[in-house]
Amino acid sequence: MAKKITGPQLVLANRLDDGRAVFLTAAGNWSNKVADAAVAANEEELSALMAIAQSAEVANLVVSVTPVAADTAGNTVAPAHIKFAMQARGPSVRSDLGYQVSPNWEQ
Amino acid sequence: MYAYDAYDHAIVNARVAEFRDQVERRMSGELTEEEFRPLRLMNGLYLQLHAYMLRVAIPYGTLSADQMRKLAHIARRYDKGYGHFTTRQNIQYNWPKLSETPDILQELADVEMHAIQTSGNVIRNVTTDQFAGATADEVADPRPYAELIRQWSSFHPEFSFLPRKFKIAITGAREDRAAIKWHDIGLVVKENDAGEIGFEVLAGGGMGRTPVIAKTVRDFLPVKDLLSYLEAMLRVYNEQGRRDNKYKARIKILVEAMGIEEYARQVEEEWVKIKHTPIDVPAEEVARIKAFFAPPPLAVLSEDVPEVDALADKNFIFKSWLHNNTGRHKVPGYVNVTISLKPHGGIPGDATDGQMDLVATLADTYSQSEIRVSHEQNLILPHVARKDLPLLWAELDAAGLGTPNAGLLTDIIACPGLDYCSLANTRSIPIAQTITERFDDMKRLMDIGPLKIKISGCINSCGHHHAGHIGILGVDRRGEENYQLLLGGSGAEDASKAAILGPGFDEHGIVDAVEKVVAVYLGEREDGEEFLAAYRRLGADVFKEAVYGTD
Repeated sequence: MAKKITGPQLVLANRLDDGRAVFLTAAGNWSNKVADAAVAANEEELSALMAIAQSAEVANLVVSVTPVAADTAGNTVAPAHIKFAMQARGPSVRSDLGYQVSPNWEQ
Repeated sequence: MYAYDAYDHAIVNARVAEFRDQVERRMSGELTEEEFRPLRLMNGLYLQLHAYMLRVAIPYGTLSADQMRKLAHIARRYDKGYGHFTTRQNIQYNWPKLSETPDILQELADVEMHAIQTSGNVIRNVTTDQFAGATADEVADPRPYAELIRQWSSFHPEFSFLPRKFKIAITGAREDRAAIKWHDIGLVVKENDAGEIGFEVLAGGGMGRTPVIAKTVRDFLPVKDLLSYLEAMLRVYNEQGRRDNKYKARIKILVEAMGIEEYARQVEEEWVKIKHTPIDVPAEEVARIKAFFAPPPLAVLSEDVPEVDALADKNFIFKSWLHNNTGRHKVPGYVNVTISLKPHGGIPGDATDGQMDLVATLADTYSQSEIRVSHEQNLILPHVARKDLPLLWAELDAAGLGTPNAGLLTDIIACPGLDYCSLANTRSIPIAQTITERFDDMKRLMDIGPLKIKISGCINSCGHHHAGHIGILGVDRRGEENYQLLLGGSGAEDASKAAILGPGFDEHGIVDAVEKVVAVYLGEREDGEEFLAAYRRLGADVFKEAVYGTD
């Protein structure tokens, strides 16, 4: 049965190899840009995203798959809760590190 | 300091090889995350918000210069050029890759270090006084006993799956700088009337959501009985500690439930059964370990160094550093130097690879190649000649390591908080940064005097807020960061639990509230009265009125 949700959701996880926070996209890939995140508007859409996410977990691409409430105000998408928003941004006290610098900050 | 023997090397290297195999099997999918998670945690590897985090043990906070250089190298090669010294006298790396972790562990093993038992429901790294073996107020150096406990507790088969994690702290000094009363077991080295060395044994302390101050189980335990007695203490806990609820699984809950007298009775009963079995080591082995911690051969020097006084007279910052960051050594003419990792506006406990390399070099030059880590997240150079202080201070200051605030209001303990930690509810570091910026005036700080602020980003209390003269606890209030203010805690020999003053604040309000509390203290203190003493005399109401008003 689909998980009951009260608003839009996105799915985040950590990459297995380096633990970096990543977001499930509409194409079923994982992106380190929160802007790429697929947003589920209802239980059925979230179930479909979670099925993809969990298969990626089984395939050892990601760990710690978590559906979280999304803030879709304006033209952006971000996790609504500060804890998950931090994962999208990187540590606030090291503005030189994390995806807040660049999605490709480590390349 | 202690040097590994062939057996130590063999078991640590074997563990690295074992973990390398486990990581390969995880990466290939042979192990699931569910199977792998407990294995990585046994090697100190957590998954945090942005990356894995590796917690490396620094046994009883003692490091050699070569070990510090290795920590710097790991920060540079495998991480992002810095490490975080913790309230457990450990170091944490915030960005290691899973696939590179076995290489990091091998590099650590090469300098006799590891990450074993830095996580999990086991006996963790034993912590102690950062000035151990070098302070004037000491009965005996506690580190040989800490090492004995480390060897006994490492891979102890009976205590590999305790109800919950287990922390032991030991001090040999009259002044408790190791917060031993806030630990599962606290040990105080003492001398009895017959002049024998032994321990006062305390149990049942801890922070978290149920703060409890440890109580005395035994007033004097001879050294020869240390390990068998600890074994009996752990056995009673292991058998009767709760396993149904992780929040009620620490020994403090068991001791509170059965009472300290009943716990002590059961420990003695268990001890009688095992004290004659070969758990305790022979006196020769204790002597062998003690020899590793023999005091360095320091020639007595004059305490009177005119060039130090002359520099202090003309440079207020050096004078403040001399006052706050150097402490009496047991040998005349020497001091222990606290290197503050609390630059105003900086991140408490963080050090760059370059700073770690510099500290290693300075240790080689000035402190017998020895370095300590304090639970207050600073570094210490022990055994420094007073005559070397002007040169040492200049080198530290030039590298951003000369902040003269040890023990003052801006020497803040803060957990990593929501900037890194997946357990946190709020950020801690930015609160510390804002407070240190607000109080960025050494004359004002010197006037305020000793004041310990401790900040935790969640109820797990890694930032020791229960023991803060001023404690700050971050809570999640409907998805917003909210900070509770606590007053009156102490982690010292006069340990006390801080009490919540009133409703919480946002990140700006909490800093204003701290400033109001300090203003009350400055207005109400008596001559020479420190903050904690003033709070205890005045009570909470006058502070509450200043912070919340009279409405």
